[in-house]
Amino acid sequence: MTDLSLSSEIKPSRRPSRMQIALRKPGFMAGAAIIGASTVLALFPNVFAPHDPNFIDYLAVRQPPSWQHPFGTDLLGRDSLSRVIWAYSINMQMAVLATVFALTIGVIIGALVGYYRGIADMIFGRVVDAIITFPFLVLVIAVVAVLGPGLINMYIAITLVGWVYYARLMRAEVISQMTNDYASAGIVMGYSDLRIIFRHLLPNALTPIIVYWMTDMALAILLGSSLGYLGLGAQPPQAEWGVLIAEGRNFITTAWWLSLMPGIAIVLTGLGFSLIGDGLADLLRPRG
Amino acid sequence: MKAAALAVGFALSTALGSLTIQTADAVERGGTLNFARYDGSKLVDPIYADRNPDIWMVGSLFSTLLEPSADGKDLVGSLAESYEVSADGKTVSLKLRNGANFSDGSPVTGEDVVFSLGRARNPDLGPWAGLLSAVSSVDASGADITISLSSPDPALLSMLATFNTAIVSKKAFDAAPGANDQEKSAALFAKGGPGLGSGPFYLSGFEQGTSMTFSANPHYWKEGEDGKPLPYLEGVHFQIIPDDATRVLKLTAGEVDVAEFIPFSRVAELDADPAIDMNLYPSTRIIYSPINTRDTRTDGSANPLADKRVRQAINYATNKEALIGLVLQGAGKPMSSPVMSSATRLATDMSPLYGYNLDKAKALVAEAGLKPGTEITLTTLAGSADDGTIFAALQQMWAPLGITLVAEQVDGATRGSKNRSGEFDIHTYGWVDDVNDPSQVTGWLGYYPTRKAVGTGWNNAEFNALYEASSSEMDPEKRADQYHQMQEIYAEAAPLLFMYETPFAVAVSGKVDGYLQTPLGNNVFERVFLER
Amino acid sequence: MAGVQYTLNRLVLMIPTFLLVMIIIFLLVRMLPGDPAVAIAGDKASDADIAAIRDKLGLNAPLWTQFWLFLTNTLQGDLGRSILMRAPVLDVIIARLPTTIFLAVYAISLSILIAGPLAFIAAINRGRWQDNVIRAVFQVGLSMPVFYIGLLLLTFLAAQLRLFPVGGFGETFLDRLYHLFLPSVTVALYTSAILMRNLRAAIIEVLDAEYVQFARAKGLPPRLILGRHVLKNALISTITLLGLSIGQLMSGTLVTETVFAVPGVGRLMLEAIFARDYPLIQGLTLTFAVLVSLVFLMTDLFQNWLDPRMRLS
Repeated sequence: MTDLSLSSEIKPSRRPSRMQIALRKPGFMAGAAIIGASTVLALFPNVFAPHDPNFIDYLAVRQPPSWQHPFGTDLLGRDSLSRVIWAYSINMQMAVLATVFALTIGVIIGALVGYYRGIADMIFGRVVDAIITFPFLVLVIAVVAVLGPGLINMYIAITLVGWVYYARLMRAEVISQMTNDYASAGIVMGYSDLRIIFRHLLPNALTPIIVYWMTDMALAILLGSSLGYLGLGAQPPQAEWGVLIAEGRNFITTAWWLSLMPGIAIVLTGLGFSLIGDGLADLLRPRG
Repeated sequence: MKAAALAVGFALSTALGSLTIQTADAVERGGTLNFARYDGSKLVDPIYADRNPDIWMVGSLFSTLLEPSADGKDLVGSLAESYEVSADGKTVSLKLRNGANFSDGSPVTGEDVVFSLGRARNPDLGPWAGLLSAVSSVDASGADITISLSSPDPALLSMLATFNTAIVSKKAFDAAPGANDQEKSAALFAKGGPGLGSGPFYLSGFEQGTSMTFSANPHYWKEGEDGKPLPYLEGVHFQIIPDDATRVLKLTAGEVDVAEFIPFSRVAELDADPAIDMNLYPSTRIIYSPINTRDTRTDGSANPLADKRVRQAINYATNKEALIGLVLQGAGKPMSSPVMSSATRLATDMSPLYGYNLDKAKALVAEAGLKPGTEITLTTLAGSADDGTIFAALQQMWAPLGITLVAEQVDGATRGSKNRSGEFDIHTYGWVDDVNDPSQVTGWLGYYPTRKAVGTGWNNAEFNALYEASSSEMDPEKRADQYHQMQEIYAEAAPLLFMYETPFAVAVSGKVDGYLQTPLGNNVFERVFLER
Repeated sequence: MAGVQYTLNRLVLMIPTFLLVMIIIFLLVRMLPGDPAVAIAGDKASDADIAAIRDKLGLNAPLWTQFWLFLTNTLQGDLGRSILMRAPVLDVIIARLPTTIFLAVYAISLSILIAGPLAFIAAINRGRWQDNVIRAVFQVGLSMPVFYIGLLLLTFLAAQLRLFPVGGFGETFLDRLYHLFLPSVTVALYTSAILMRNLRAAIIEVLDAEYVQFARAKGLPPRLILGRHVLKNALISTITLLGLSIGQLMSGTLVTETVFAVPGVGRLMLEAIFARDYPLIQGLTLTFAVLVSLVFLMTDLFQNWLDPRMRLS
């Protein structure tokens, strides 16, 4: 999840009310709408799913879309629409759980090494170098192999690898904040280190972290569904988009609805997060 | 053709129909068969082959002394033209066929037989030496071979028709570089070329994990329908394509002629394609789930499955036909013998073996006093769609018994370790016979000293004694009776969840004739020809 | 001179990193569940056989001894024997690596061919419909998982329309270009999306820069301005970006090789993991790490050579 696209969009915006600009941006609004709807589906799948996602009906396997089953049925006769909807709760959970711990750990470590520097910072530098030396997916797969396949282990694996990126970002941000007046002012006024870090440096340094977090959530869904597809993430019969595509892939020409619908769900959600990310990048861009 | 025993669904009957049409065509010679495999060979050597992709190719490169007859019930000569067993069962005499040659044209001699069987029964080399433990010496005098046994072994003749006793050239081994047998074998395989074996083909190309090529052995002894030596093909080219869907795509796009291990969910669709023959070859493959029968689990808690009645109950509560419909799309049938496939010799047909009966299952759990809500863990293979389906179905089927089925997904190696250590309740498993004799699978599933009865911990003195007696019983009727008794004991004790048998699903382009996969899984190319 | 000094510094920094990399790999592989001896011997082996194999593999030795052996053997180029392939790990990797490198280089070339012109068109038409369409298409591309793109291309372009072969990787160079076209496009779509965004931004930055505005005001022809300033800037940012996304590119090839049945090291990695082939997993992980850090190093040196101001602190 080394997304490098953050540094893009360097369009200077000098107009005063950024809030209004962002809200007027159709991209940002579309992203917010998609993620809002996805969140509602994720929280209340039982309200929206027309059928029990796990009910097996082997008299009605691989039925094409109909009024009763708008997305058709899968190879066990389960309702595809209901499975795609129930998968929202897993895939949206993925976006949050695969990133939020990495973010927390990364932000804390990054802030500490950025503030204190010294030996800890040097060791941190080597650890970062070592971890980014592995292709992200290779390391995550290796860790999943150690822990065993499954959702929780996948979260642990992504967190173990992913915190580095947040920490690196945070460290750089804190170092640049340190040169600002208020940090030195804090030191002069005799505030404790923790107060300076958490009350002054951290809030100001969070902007790029939050923007990165949005992109990272989109990537978490992509990564999570890839692992599900490869058989290392969520496990069948659990409904997860990658698993659903893997289940449907044998029938992509004869029962196209099985792999098409979860594919669309992945693309839409990913798009939603990156549009919000882009919008926020504009919205939260620091002064100057 | 055991057609009667295999009348399972429309797909199969049409597949068998197309098989019989094929053989009516006149043979044509030449051409290379392109074959998409699910996994690659690593080392095709009779004694070191231990994975199916290796074992199943041995017969194409190496011939054995005997081979199964066309109907699989008997044994006929191959490199040996005749054989005889002495009255006490302790001596087997064979006579080598005149005109049996290695692929470089040099004759197969008694010396090669002594060398090959010596390798095969050397316990320091391959994993299969135990199958020949009764052999005390092998001698050759000209074309006459004498095998002496320390005790009679009813399975010995079958062993001589099995891949591990295939004949290799001593001359080739002597000339190969390497300090020991393993290194020589690896060097010979890496080099390829004619002269090592006497099968219908020799290895002519190999790229690790990618492809493998066989070329016709011009000196093969068997004759084709046109009176000239087999095989009809010039060669076979294998491509390794582990992904099921891609393998099928390759076949439908016409890039390969044969695709093996077709997912059962696609059998009907390919069967409907006029350009493709969808074959379901009868196999000795059984899918079952060992049940931990020990009194306590490894964590010390009481094991509800230690009670025979609970094991019987879950067997009754499992609707095998429904399971076959879901997992195999109907292309399979419930196990009918508890310890072997119906295609294995001496299998007793006990069908319906625990036919679906929910009332009986409920009565049994009530009698056993099983607490409602009892948690049982099913260990399945991570990433396996079949196992996911099996779990979902069993969870639904066993709920009426008050059993809460929990899934635990692990990879193959972990499942293997759990089977050894007993850290499981029930786990999915599968088996294909390697040997054309029931002793191997029966020993595996039921004889405690082999592997704790497939890890279940089931240790039945009567069963063990019968197994030991049968392994030196030369009277076929008495042996059959012992096997019958073992199957009855095993069925009653139910140390397994008895599930189903599956055929080998192989899709072949319409222009390919004469391809066969035997019940043991061996790929047979010697009579394949391509229509032009 | 400064360049040489810089290179040396950069190389020295790699030593502790690689020691850490080796420790990570070693610990990961030791922690894998399932017994490698069971993996070697197979399900049908007896418990005694397994104990003997464990002994032979040195698995009963203390962890520290095992690590020292791993480290010294690796430095001597001995990565052990693959359980799955029954051959030295180094040989297996050397046999498979060229395919993956071919795929990666092919994908990078395609990404540049796709992203370069489109970024340029988007940048000079900033805010107009061309820009919006290009950005929207790449935004969607960025949200598609690699396996899904591969699956769609494979099914529709190869299997249905028969425009490309379904798998394999060809014999001659041209044949290989043809066979690996779809897999490369699959990998390239993602890289080109990132590349496009950054290139577009880089070009816009130059266009907005004061000296360019000044040149424009002076009446210099736009083509000259673009040629002189934009190209250099774009080149630096492209190379930096491609260098830094090598890890992602490798992740992409891993998935793509699996979907398209391309026999490279990515697919081998998954096979090794599923087969619990410890020496092979070790060797492959190390290979990936070496590849990535070599590319990082090259990128860094190249960047330094092009623009000495951007030295690492």
